[in-house]
Amino acid sequence: MKPLIVENVMKQYADKTAVNGISFEVDKGEIYGLLGANGAGKTTTMRMVLGLIYPDSGTIRYNGQPYSTKQLGLLGYLPEERGLYPKIRVCDQIIYLSQLRGMSKRDADQNLKRWLERFEVPEYYGKKVEELSKGNQQKIQFIAAVNHKPQFVVLDEAFSGLDPVNVEVLKATVKELRDSGSSILFSTHRMEHVEELCRNITILHRSNTVLSGNLKELKGQFPRERVILSTRTEVKGLEDISGVTLVKNHEYGYEIGIQSEAVGPEILRHALEQAEVTRFEIKEPTLNEIFIKTVGERNE
Amino acid sequence: MNSFWTVVGFTARNKFRGKAFIITTLIIALIISIGINLPYIITQFDKGESSAKQIGYIQSQQEQDAGTATGNSLKAYFDAIEGSKIKMMAFPDKGDAAQNEQLLQDSIKDGAISGYLEFGDMSDSGYPAMSYKSEKLLDISITESLQTALQNIRLQTALQDAGLSEGQLAALQAPIKITTLQIATAGSGGEGKSSAQQGVNMGLIYFIIIFLFMAIMTSGQLIASEVTAEKSSRIMEILITSVAPLKQMFGKIFGMFLVVLAQVSLYVCVMLINLSLPHNKSALSSFNIDLSAIDPMILAYSLIFFLTGFFLFATLYAAVGSIVSRTEDLGQATMPMTFISLAGFYIAMFSISTPDSLLVKVTSFIPLFSPYVMMLRLGLTGVPTWEVLVSIAILLVSIYVAVYISAKIYRTGVLMYGKRPSWKEIRKAMKAYKI
Repeated sequence: MKPLIVENVMKQYADKTAVNGISFEVDKGEIYGLLGANGAGKTTTMRMVLGLIYPDSGTIRYNGQPYSTKQLGLLGYLPEERGLYPKIRVCDQIIYLSQLRGMSKRDADQNLKRWLERFEVPEYYGKKVEELSKGNQQKIQFIAAVNHKPQFVVLDEAFSGLDPVNVEVLKATVKELRDSGSSILFSTHRMEHVEELCRNITILHRSNTVLSGNLKELKGQFPRERVILSTRTEVKGLEDISGVTLVKNHEYGYEIGIQSEAVGPEILRHALEQAEVTRFEIKEPTLNEIFIKTVGERNE
Repeated sequence: MNSFWTVVGFTARNKFRGKAFIITTLIIALIISIGINLPYIITQFDKGESSAKQIGYIQSQQEQDAGTATGNSLKAYFDAIEGSKIKMMAFPDKGDAAQNEQLLQDSIKDGAISGYLEFGDMSDSGYPAMSYKSEKLLDISITESLQTALQNIRLQTALQDAGLSEGQLAALQAPIKITTLQIATAGSGGEGKSSAQQGVNMGLIYFIIIFLFMAIMTSGQLIASEVTAEKSSRIMEILITSVAPLKQMFGKIFGMFLVVLAQVSLYVCVMLINLSLPHNKSALSSFNIDLSAIDPMILAYSLIFFLTGFFLFATLYAAVGSIVSRTEDLGQATMPMTFISLAGFYIAMFSISTPDSLLVKVTSFIPLFSPYVMMLRLGLTGVPTWEVLVSIAILLVSIYVAVYISAKIYRTGVLMYGKRPSWKEIRKAMKAYKI
């Protein structure tokens, strides 16, 4: 049985449905992506997983057990709206938060030092949070979520507000966390992060699950509608091939929209007749395209 | 249970470390020290000046002069009183009224005398008309002392003329004493409180009520503002997912209680140390304060009411803090609590002379008021034990109810952001969150 099972969970606020029957399972050592536009119900879902609010119906099971205060120590949470004590030293509050989740003071201290070392900021140990830059506060926030070695980690918009270098550092640590066996629930607007990190995803749209499952399989379900073609010299008449919907001329070559995969060989033949081909690829759809397609369609 | 103590420790430690806390505590300790030593300090200043006021008069050569005779007898009278605040100083007659006047005025200028007495024609009172002249405005205390002195002198001479013996004189002048004793007629024995005990009790009650008020106001505000701060810094979401809200709330309250307790013990220590300084010993005894006169039951009850009052207010303050999102809005939100606390405090303070009024009796059973008002009744009147127990029971029940409601509000409130929610919105949210 998978460690975290969310089954048909529904949540209704006074006059609006926030989450309408979401189901998913997160395996050990897996990062599960939760996608959706603003207000789609991601944060509500995460809050229910954390036990901050209780679902109206449906069940959430942790290692087969329903939610209880016993589970608190297993959870780690990085909230979308960052929260730390601004006037208290980093070491004091991280150790406090870890202790609250049942870790001994010594272990918490050791872990914190290790994490600070990992982020190459050991000098922050005795600093107040308000003295740190936003990006560095973010690192501390991340440590606060994972310092007690939680089994279930909820990361809500973990990488927002970080520079590219720090995004890479944090991404690497999230992967480490995954490899150490944690079950991670991950939400973001950045599709490329999801493609890199997540095995399974759920796309929410206006409280409803519109797409759910293995990322690769999902991509397979969507037709390949794009060809990338690079040649040494110019190729003419691509627009005239039947089945081609669109041709864009980029620095690297051509991006060609096609109606179906079958048009691909026709394009390649056409190109080879005119020039030397350095690159030809029938692209699988990006998550971004899938997202815009599924969410966008429903918007109309 | 473990995480409860973690919260307690964290709350208390951060408060103790806070600069503002340390500074205010030290300042208050300093004020207490100064206050206790003030009587001693004042006497130190007084010693510099000559203790008695000198009043001048003209001593005429003529034996028959009524003014001189009055002045002389006054001088004899004041000299006979040990440590008298007034002394008479005789000046020789220069023979001329204007010159005499000049002499006396010069003496005032020199500082030898602070005023002088001028005599006029004989009046019906048996003394000549007198006027007291000095540079000061309305020096009534001196003229009053002079009047009493003259009256005593007249009485003595009259009595001596009537041929009374020394013994009879002494018997006439012996002071009359009435001791006041406050007794309990209902129930428990007839044990009374002597006036010394009453005085000590009244002081103690004043002290306890002021103390309770200060502890409630400061710690209540602190608890509310800490909760709001945690909420506005959004660390609350992490806390709520780490530890049960009830534990967290009580950890905070108990932590703050320890802080207040430590602060209070420090103040009491400072007070005791200051009081036990040798130069303050006489001050205590001169005020007739005998600390052994304190009824231990009063101390026990005051502890109970202090604890219950503190926890009742603290839980409510925590709930109020949880519904506010920004610290700027906190003052307004805690206003009703502040008013209730003030009302209880003032009912107790203004009823200290009428501790038997109906208002006091009724409010001593109303939770939120009772910690103040019941203490007043306990200290100053005999309260039947059952009434005290009923009052405590009501308090305990209301603490239970307050905890129940506060915990719910707290659990809901900490997740509600934006403008301060109305009661209706809180109820709605409680339903929505299934709390």
